[in-house]
Amino acid sequence: MKLSEIIEKCKLQKVVYPADCEIKAGYCGDLMSDVMAHAEPESIWITIQAHKNSIAVALIKDIKAIVFTNSVPIEQEVIKKAEEENINLLHTPKNSFTICGEIYSMMEEKTDTD
Amino acid sequence: MKPHYSRERLTLVNELIYEIKVKDAMSREVIFFDEKATFREIQLKLKEKRMSGVPILDEHKNIVGIVSIDDIITAFDKNYIDDKITNYMTREVITVPQNFSVVYAIRKLEQSGVGRLPVTESANSKKVVGVITMSDILNKLLVEVQSVAEKVKEEEAKNGEISDKIIQKVTKKPLRFEVKGDDFDSAGRVASITKKYFQNLKVPTEIVRRIAIVCYEAEMNICLHSFGGYIVVEVNEHNEVVISAYDRGPGIPDLELALTPGFTTASEKIRALGFGAGMGLPNIKHCADKFEIKSSLKTGTFLKAIISLGEENETK
Repeated sequence: MKLSEIIEKCKLQKVVYPADCEIKAGYCGDLMSDVMAHAEPESIWITIQAHKNSIAVALIKDIKAIVFTNSVPIEQEVIKKAEEENINLLHTPKNSFTICGEIYSMMEEKTDTD
Repeated sequence: MKPHYSRERLTLVNELIYEIKVKDAMSREVIFFDEKATFREIQLKLKEKRMSGVPILDEHKNIVGIVSIDDIITAFDKNYIDDKITNYMTREVITVPQNFSVVYAIRKLEQSGVGRLPVTESANSKKVVGVITMSDILNKLLVEVQSVAEKVKEEEAKNGEISDKIIQKVTKKPLRFEVKGDDFDSAGRVASITKKYFQNLKVPTEIVRRIAIVCYEAEMNICLHSFGGYIVVEVNEHNEVVISAYDRGPGIPDLELALTPGFTTASEKIRALGFGAGMGLPNIKHCADKFEIKSSLKTGTFLKAIISLGEENETK
């Protein structure tokens, strides 16, 4: 489904948003090695790890968008790196569980109607 | 060279019959009659065009019936060949909507035993926009298979070049990266560069993904747990990517324990950043075709992971 649709329905704040794109899967995790091992390409990643290494992981795994939950502070450096690498960064006060639930049901609904 | 497309080839026709829509294969020139026609008129037309049946349409091109060769033979037999068809034609007509895939049309053709099916504008419309026969579908399939085959041929030629190019370039000049200890900021750099490098060489995505994971974990290990070291990425004469990571210590006291998923010596600070989950070495082992690790408390740790680029590119 479209990233713009997820942003709108989950009321996510756009921190870095180079372009809309197609999101094919999702993953939630705060352990880098776990995300490295299991996230799928062209996915959205829900995490509280708002540091520069998250951008590196996203880049290596072809993750298109990262949602930082629980209003975790995002450093200027992280934003700069995401801008350079064209990774979408989104921010929300909601917790990871809630955001995962919202995105998951949206995607399920999408595959049902397709 | 053994192409890795064989599985795709086997399923190609299978996929195509689901992909190709009825409207892509049907013929749009529809020969039809209205209800006022006689069996004789239709019989002459069928003979001229060598067809086995013809749809009967009203003034809006909506289908109201069908007359087949069988109906005509019966008309001869029962002696009403010069009558109008209205009272005799088959009114229950099997049609296919133009947006359905041809696999639906094939099924309908098989089930009904008729040679041609009228195609309607949509599932709930009776308006006829074309006619489809088994030979229309076969023709379309042949055209598609041909074009896919040409593409495959081009890619095969390209793949040959690529594998030679990798061997020439990388065997001569391995990629070498210095990795500092405790340098979180540039972590991920080795994996990013290596990934782009192999992507540019058109190595299959799945293999690039594994190479990137191994590089990332090896880089993080040096960065998190050692005094610093370096990583070398090269392609050997067996067309395998060899990732070697060296560090200057302090060494791993118990390798078996270090390879146990979940075991970690990482500090609380590192773990809070999402590292040190005890998954690094198991991840590398999982992604590599061959894996080797040696560690000494005097000289440090050496790790080698080998990932095959595919047997089909094996060098002579």
